Amino acid sequence: MNYMPGTASLIQDIDKKHLVLLRDGRTLIGYLRSIDQFANLVLHQTVERIHVGKKYGDIPRGIFVVRGENVVLLGEIDLEKESDTPLQQVSIEEILEEQRVEQQAKHESEKLKVQALKERGLSIPRADTLDEY
Amino acid sequence: MAGSSDPVVLEDYLLAEDAPLLEEMAEEDEEIDLYNDMTFGLDRDSMEEEVAKAPAPQDKDPEPSPMDKSIEEGTVMEEDESKAVEEPGPEAEEKPSILEEMDEAEEEHEGEPGTQLEDYGDMEEEGELGADEHEEVEVEVEEEEDEEEEEEDEQEEGEQQHHDDGDSKEQNDLGDPAVMRAVHGKPTLESLDSAVVDSSIGSSWEGYKADDLVLADVWSSSPGSIPSHRMLEQSPMMPRSLYSPRPFTPPRRASPLFTPSQSSEYTSPMPFRPMSPNIRTPTQPLGMRFGPMSPSLDPSLFFSPSAGLQGKFSVPSHMTQLHPQHQRILNQRQQRGQVQSISPKKPWSSKADPYAGLMTLKEKDWVIKVQMMQLQSENPHLDDYYYQAYYHQLERKQAEEELFGGRSKQEPPKLVTPYIQKMETHDSVVRIAGSLGQVAMSTCYSPRRAIDAVHHVLLEEAVGNQRLRALDRIEKMFLQLLDVEETQRKMTLAPEEQHPRFQEKKSHEVGRIFHTLKTGACGSEEEAEDEFLQVLCVRKGKKLTARLLPHLTREQAEGILVAITRHLPFLMRKDVLDESLPVLYGPLSEMVGKMTFSELIEVLQELTRPLPDSLELPLTMALKNQFGISLLYSLLSHGEKLLSSDVPLEPHSGDFEKWTDTVFLVARELSQVPKTSLVEPLVLPSNLLSLFCRYLDKQTIHRLEVKMECASLPSETAMLC
Repeated sequence: MNYMPGTASLIQDIDKKHLVLLRDGRTLIGYLRSIDQFANLVLHQTVERIHVGKKYGDIPRGIFVVRGENVVLLGEIDLEKESDTPLQQVSIEEILEEQRVEQQAKHESEKLKVQALKERGLSIPRADTLDEY
Repeated sequence: MAGSSDPVVLEDYLLAEDAPLLEEMAEEDEEIDLYNDMTFGLDRDSMEEEVAKAPAPQDKDPEPSPMDKSIEEGTVMEEDESKAVEEPGPEAEEKPSILEEMDEAEEEHEGEPGTQLEDYGDMEEEGELGADEHEEVEVEVEEEEDEEEEEEDEQEEGEQQHHDDGDSKEQNDLGDPAVMRAVHGKPTLESLDSAVVDSSIGSSWEGYKADDLVLADVWSSSPGSIPSHRMLEQSPMMPRSLYSPRPFTPPRRASPLFTPSQSSEYTSPMPFRPMSPNIRTPTQPLGMRFGPMSPSLDPSLFFSPSAGLQGKFSVPSHMTQLHPQHQRILNQRQQRGQVQSISPKKPWSSKADPYAGLMTLKEKDWVIKVQMMQLQSENPHLDDYYYQAYYHQLERKQAEEELFGGRSKQEPPKLVTPYIQKMETHDSVVRIAGSLGQVAMSTCYSPRRAIDAVHHVLLEEAVGNQRLRALDRIEKMFLQLLDVEETQRKMTLAPEEQHPRFQEKKSHEVGRIFHTLKTGACGSEEEAEDEFLQVLCVRKGKKLTARLLPHLTREQAEGILVAITRHLPFLMRKDVLDESLPVLYGPLSEMVGKMTFSELIEVLQELTRPLPDSLELPLTMALKNQFGISLLYSLLSHGEKLLSSDVPLEPHSGDFEKWTDTVFLVARELSQVPKTSLVEPLVLPSNLLSLFCRYLDKQTIHRLEVKMECASLPSETAMLC
């Protein structure tokens, strides 16, 4: 049953496991249960995966309803290949800690950069959110 | 009662439209009811007592939440009055064997704390259950079981219930009269450690395959195992119209439990947690229904691969009166067991997904319908050009292949977009005669128009940038041209009678474009101001002209050709960067091929007319430009063709002289032009040398031949000269 050949449609992806990247940078993994014409998604058994370096941690989130405009991309996960990943899974606490450390380091370097620029009389406005309009 | 509540609960989740599926469910419901009757038949007496004593707990019985509550109550009671329990050991609770099976699996894999996403089903089961509620249940259930309890248990239960008057049998049955007996099992990892979401990941169910078979066998082969007295008893408590005194048969439908799509089965949100697999007494009345029982019961466990579990699951030797849903699970597991061994790599097959089909076919169709609505168009070939063109090409290729290959290929799936005759246009602003303002009539397709802004500024009046103006004109003409081509296409598809109508429309349109194109061309001498030439300076303008030429009348096309040749040096100069003049070559050469001799001479005159501000002839300059030389050659070739043909030429006076003059001139220029600056034409006509042969001597011809690098012609020239 091939709905809409020649088009991109999410109908074929229903009930399959997907990885969804959101505009705020989050990565969700879950079973796509329902869609609508705006590509709003209903994800089932969703897990938010946080990646830091070579490690990742999963936070189970349950059911997600994602507004379509917030999705950057999504792709089906091959269940057979899912486990061959070079990444190492760690506990939630650990990954959150790692993330915090990474954010801190980024913040520090950013601060130094801004300082250096200020000394040279330049100021670059920071983008506070991921989206820049 | 649990039985009577089944349809209610399940239908809460089913959509009304799923009639055939509802039917199926109803069928199953009947079986469930029947089953319940038989299962609970023994309890009738005690139940009656119970009814007299404590109606309250029974009322809450079938619902999930009160269910939990009753379980909790049961456990609480259990803890308090454990001493009062007469049964040996803490086997006060009895669980359906389904749970017991899961216990086994779970015990097997207690050591796997990592949540793997493969077994999402597990996670889901766990997640959905309030961890609290069922932990207690499991604690109770998973305590050690010491002895096998089979049908004797039911009798015991009955007795026990009689004994336990005081506590309205809550202690044993978790407060649920549907529960025959609740047994304790081994504590699961989940219950002990709340961080563990699922300890049964990757549990092997291969051991169950054999057991399933046995179970099924036992089931099918020993209908007599059903206590006959159960069957014959009519339960006054459960008015079942469909109670029939027949042996309980496994479900007739062999339908897969979890069809990937459109399955109407809605699993209740209260699946059971996997229990400890250490079941030594798996033969409890297997179908204890705890309210709306989910048929899934963690199906991931059913279908997980991996070896290991070796018959820990002992076969129930007594009657295995399975709950219909359980029976179905077993049957499918049995079937799938064989499949599983073939493809052990699929940890989480879609067949096992209990949540599949949440989005029904109707809903999918609806979404697609909405999406298709957005594709509606009056002219799909125009609006959706790339898709249509691609599929035309694909189909053409396939047709060709079919021709060659001789085998029939199946049609490539093509999305046929809805082609509607006329799109409804909504005017968002309605002007009512005599009213002072505008009434807004807005829909979601045409929202309210805030400002009635009309673009009044004419481009000519705007700040003059000639190039911009030229570009604007090109765009307008292009749209008109696309219209023309569309009309042409429709004409070819339409029946013969309608051709004149299309033709008329087309020529009208073409005339308009031509007029726009040539407006102001005749006027000024200044080439830079010539609008037509400005258009030709732009690559898109050249493409426009090239596409327009086939549609023009002869006079119009000739006018274009004359203009081009007249201003050829200018155009060539402007085209140095773009190099897009060759796009004109095709249509022009075709046109040239239809010209008369006189017309040809006229055009050639343009090339040979000396320029005011240059020593070079346009001719000479043309030789250095690919388009120029190609055009020249095509003109000469056509002349030669005309001359060598038998068609009467009807030349005007002086034509022939001009012709020969031109030829000589060309020959002279060709020989004089250094070879390095001579450009290779797009097409080298084969009759050029013969043309030269006619007028020139051998030596010159040889020289020209070398110049023109026609390696293929020596034999011909040898023949002719």
